[in-house]
Amino acid sequence: MKSRPTRTAAALAAVTLSMSLAGCVESGRSSTTSAPDTDCPWKPDESVTTEARIAWQAVPNGDAVVKDLGLLEACMPNADISWVQAAAGGDVVKYYGSDDVDLGLMGSAPATIASSEPVVEDVDLSVVWIHDVIGDAESLIVKDPTITDISGLKGKKVAVPFSSTAHYSLLQALADAGMDATRDVEVINLEPEKMPGAWQGDQIDAAWVWDPVQSQLLEDGGERILSSADTAEAGRPTFDVGTASQEFAEGNPEFMTQWTKAQDYAVRMIKDDPAAAAESVAVVLGIDPADAEKQFGGLTFLTAEEQAGPDYLGGQLTEDLFTTAGFLLEQGEIEAVGTESDYADHVDPGPAKAAANG
Amino acid sequence: MTQTTAPVRPQSDRNRTDTDPGPSSRGARRLRPPRARRLGMHVASVAALLLLWWLVTRAGLVRPLYLPSPGAVWDAFVRANSDHPIAAGSDRIVRGEQNYYLWEHLVASLQRIAIGVGAAVAVGIPLGLLMGTTWLGTLLEPYLNFLRSLPPLAYIGLLIVWFGIGDTSKIWLLFLAAFPPIAMSTISGIRGVHQDQVNAVLSLGASRRQVLTAVVLPATLPEILTGIRVATGFAWTTVVAAEIANGIPGIGGLAYLAGEQLQSALVIACIVVIGLAAILLDLGLKNLEKVLVPWRGKA
Repeated sequence: MKSRPTRTAAALAAVTLSMSLAGCVESGRSSTTSAPDTDCPWKPDESVTTEARIAWQAVPNGDAVVKDLGLLEACMPNADISWVQAAAGGDVVKYYGSDDVDLGLMGSAPATIASSEPVVEDVDLSVVWIHDVIGDAESLIVKDPTITDISGLKGKKVAVPFSSTAHYSLLQALADAGMDATRDVEVINLEPEKMPGAWQGDQIDAAWVWDPVQSQLLEDGGERILSSADTAEAGRPTFDVGTASQEFAEGNPEFMTQWTKAQDYAVRMIKDDPAAAAESVAVVLGIDPADAEKQFGGLTFLTAEEQAGPDYLGGQLTEDLFTTAGFLLEQGEIEAVGTESDYADHVDPGPAKAAANG
Repeated sequence: MTQTTAPVRPQSDRNRTDTDPGPSSRGARRLRPPRARRLGMHVASVAALLLLWWLVTRAGLVRPLYLPSPGAVWDAFVRANSDHPIAAGSDRIVRGEQNYYLWEHLVASLQRIAIGVGAAVAVGIPLGLLMGTTWLGTLLEPYLNFLRSLPPLAYIGLLIVWFGIGDTSKIWLLFLAAFPPIAMSTISGIRGVHQDQVNAVLSLGASRRQVLTAVVLPATLPEILTGIRVATGFAWTTVVAAEIANGIPGIGGLAYLAGEQLQSALVIACIVVIGLAAILLDLGLKNLEKVLVPWRGKA
């Protein structure tokens, strides 16, 4: 039997070892291996000393490219930039509410929720950028091969993550087909990663969802019958938007200029050199670069010039948010629909215009 | 007058290498097999489990998405601990998962639980002492019971709203999970202190403080240490709940993120690491108990 001093010595050694190990993990390490030294593609602005906390999501668009290449850090070397991952747009809105972030990526549905009662009382954000227009990236996958049309889903169970852009697209598609979302179909709230299990067990007949679950369901014998590209064509587009808190955007115009320039650069890279952009997206999302390039096909990317115009940030987006609000009210996601000018207050084409001209 | 000689232990007892109560139970039936045999049993059962797992996946009885093979889990584990290219043939090298090695995720979670349980010990023991010896006990016990029965996943959202998405909310969750068992075991330990021992030391002229340090604390130490073991085990099971939001670095956060991305092999690798860490933590605390309370069971 070991004597007591030896035991105490062993215990002390264990404690010291664990404390020294603890020093090895720095919590603040950025979430990507720094890409081979990125130089700012234009002259860096060294006067910017803003502290910016950015919420990002695992979406294959320009924001992921900006994050991976460290464009913001390279072009504003004296700014203090930190990134925090959010699981969904609703979480980004929550982070705004607890004042944990200054900028964030979210879908157009959460952005509308944040601009309507009651959330608009705690959160004051504005949409400054459209990261992408959602197309085939979110689509309706059905299990039964005989169903070729959304009206074939009468009496069936459709799974969708509530309060997301996919949810909004599904409701729009049902309404356009003349179906009542509360009576003709059973729409259930399910998180994407839980869908393959329910699909396998025949507990759901269809799902409106994005990758990687979308590809998984397609592999499992599902068929795509509708996508957000179709609902966008029918006049109900959904977007992934870049937002900033109004206070931050007003107080840091130079930061916002650099930020939008970086986003514009990323959009051009996706259009001109998709392989390189796909590699950055793959690192950030933890997927294969080939998959990332494929996923680019499901989204439409807009340059700063395209966005700043009346078709998007310059006018149409406000209307889209307003229409979205109408549907969200029916779903009980918001308490009241504001006026169109209320929503216009939350869309700011300024930074995009500056990037387009500068 | 009387001679006390250490009784000669029979051959069978001499083979025992684990601590046992000694001569007083010499006549008792052998309760635990010797260490070598115990180790052999564990190794054999783990090997049998791995074999069964491998057979099930090899026979294709379950889809790889739901149950990856042991080989796939091992690959995910190795990849998470190394610098690897993002895809075969790519030039871009990434570090581990989410830019941290798996062991770094584990250490980050252990850091949080160390602070959480440490704070729970620092607050729980004095509060337990107060509650066990004064009227505060009757007042606060229902609140303590209420806190103990709350599922952590239910109030993590509230903690994030109050304390933000940084480490503070996570450590608060671990603290709230670990605090009730420690306080309650302290109270129960105090209630179990022998009145004779207290009276004996009082009759020798001890002050109230000396009663506390010389009798009450050492007597309650066994129960307190058990409470700490239970608290640490329970807090460790809540580590995934704590790291749901902004959980990187963190083994729970990595398990959750991997689950969202349908990377089942990585999820299972994280779960195995979490389980092994729990076993090691428990072993460590058991050994701490043997060091600090060697008289347990022998008094």
